Amino acid sequence: MSPQKREPEGILGNGKVLRHGKINRFVHWIVALSIFSLIFSGFGQMPMYKRYMLVDVPGMAWTGDYALTLTLHYLGAIVLMVVVAFHIFYHLLRREFHIMPRKGDVGESIQIMKAMFTGKDEPPSHKYLAEQRLAYAFIGLSIIGVIVTGMIKVYKNLPGIDLAESTIFWSTTLHNLTAMMIILGIFLHLAAFLVPANRKLIPSMFSGQVDAAYVEHRHSKWWAELVNKGKYKGYSSNRQGTVNSQHRGFPK
Amino acid sequence: MSTLNRRSFFKRTALSGIVGATVLTAGKEVLASPSEIGQVGTLIDLTRCDGCAHEHTPQCVLACRQKNQSRFPEPEKPILDYWPHKNHEDWSAKRELTNRLTPYNWTYVQKVTVPTASTEETDVFVPRRCMHCENPPCAHICPFSACTKTSEGVVVIDDKICFGGAKCRDVCPWGIPARQAGVGLYLHGAPKYAGGGVMYKCDLCIDRLREGKAPACVDACPQQAILYGQKDALLERAKARAQEINGYVYGEKENGGTSTFYVSPVPFESIHQAMVEQVVDGKPGLPAMPVGVGNAMDQANNMAKAAFFAPVAGMVAAAVAAYRTMKGDE
Repeated sequence: MSPQKREPEGILGNGKVLRHGKINRFVHWIVALSIFSLIFSGFGQMPMYKRYMLVDVPGMAWTGDYALTLTLHYLGAIVLMVVVAFHIFYHLLRREFHIMPRKGDVGESIQIMKAMFTGKDEPPSHKYLAEQRLAYAFIGLSIIGVIVTGMIKVYKNLPGIDLAESTIFWSTTLHNLTAMMIILGIFLHLAAFLVPANRKLIPSMFSGQVDAAYVEHRHSKWWAELVNKGKYKGYSSNRQGTVNSQHRGFPK
Repeated sequence: MSTLNRRSFFKRTALSGIVGATVLTAGKEVLASPSEIGQVGTLIDLTRCDGCAHEHTPQCVLACRQKNQSRFPEPEKPILDYWPHKNHEDWSAKRELTNRLTPYNWTYVQKVTVPTASTEETDVFVPRRCMHCENPPCAHICPFSACTKTSEGVVVIDDKICFGGAKCRDVCPWGIPARQAGVGLYLHGAPKYAGGGVMYKCDLCIDRLREGKAPACVDACPQQAILYGQKDALLERAKARAQEINGYVYGEKENGGTSTFYVSPVPFESIHQAMVEQVVDGKPGLPAMPVGVGNAMDQANNMAKAAFFAPVAGMVAAAVAAYRTMKGDE
């Protein structure tokens, strides 16, 4: 196996910063796709598609087949579990913990939200804002919860396996609850883009890149780390100033 | 009849984090406790059942209705339609029906006329009710775990939790559970838009079994056509009886195995065919007897190994990817 060059996270020469490498973007989108598929097949198990007549839409009759939607649910779960395990162990091995919540994140999140309305300065941030770290923890724990309870449900579905009725009841209830928490998390995640300042991050989930000026301004602690790491590649102070002067919409 | 209101349901849900974690870490209590009476079952000998031909209603049906009448649904009227559909399932005005499964009639005897080898045709009387499957899809697939299998091997529905989605009926090869609208937990939510009532079916008189008694239908049968006992022993007895009469056994393999074994002198394929031809109203509650019918969970269960292996696969891929990228960094 030949060593493969890692996509370098850091300041690029085009006025951009590489925020998410290919692996992170791949993980994000596969998790998103598998969770959307799981939500769809999961609601099929509630059951909803016969009741709300999705089965009557041409080409959608299959959504009323519980054995089929259950199989799709298992398939989505397998993909999700592979990727979640990959994500956890990949970053553990690489000792990358930028997104893990830190002490004081709740207070800092409140400060950031206040700044949004008052126009005051946001506190300087690392690679992720405090609220992003908290959102990650919320969604992450919900996903872990849905996986653990889902695994119990998969186990109890096997022939010859008899779990206690209380175990079955609680694993089912927690599975439903954590699934709702994920849906709430996705809703909040998307609602974050109602805030104009956050929209600058959207390109990073596609190309991996965000404007360097944005990073320098809003994620100044991370910016300082990147500069100190010597990742700076031909990004002149003059140009930096130019980008800064064009940079609008952030709390001063 | 429901004592669990919406508030207490959500309270239970909110408490699930604490209690669930406790339950899940409680070691052996996670598994079903061994049954004090073992794995039980019934044997229905169709050579003995005559459907209580000289009586208005078979004794097993009467005994079942009498035993369970306090649990029959008393719906709140007016009953709302299942929006956006313009219908709902209401059997409350047809409580007297004893010739099909309804929320008010959990067993019935179906008479079919089938061809035989020796005579032109013969009448067969088949007592019908829940088969109490070994691997019940109705219980596994219930989104709220209102339907469960007890340690005795009996499948029961908790009428306090059931939302009446009727998925259990859809995945049951015999379509056994019967739905009544206007009762149950869903009334405390948005009854017009979500939920459909409560599902009802035979619970093999689980309370009687735990008191050391036989199900009411077994005790009531004047022909001793329904036998109750240890499942394994009954299966052996069913096979021996089938051999004795050169007959057939139903329920051993169907749906992955059940705890109800029918013995018949005529092939169940013929009985099934006759039952299919009898169903004319298109409404549930008149199950046929498909031979060798599969289990709705089979396809998903085939993927269980892959599901358990998935986290390991992710870890291995992470190790490889981390090694390659870190090596590339050097």
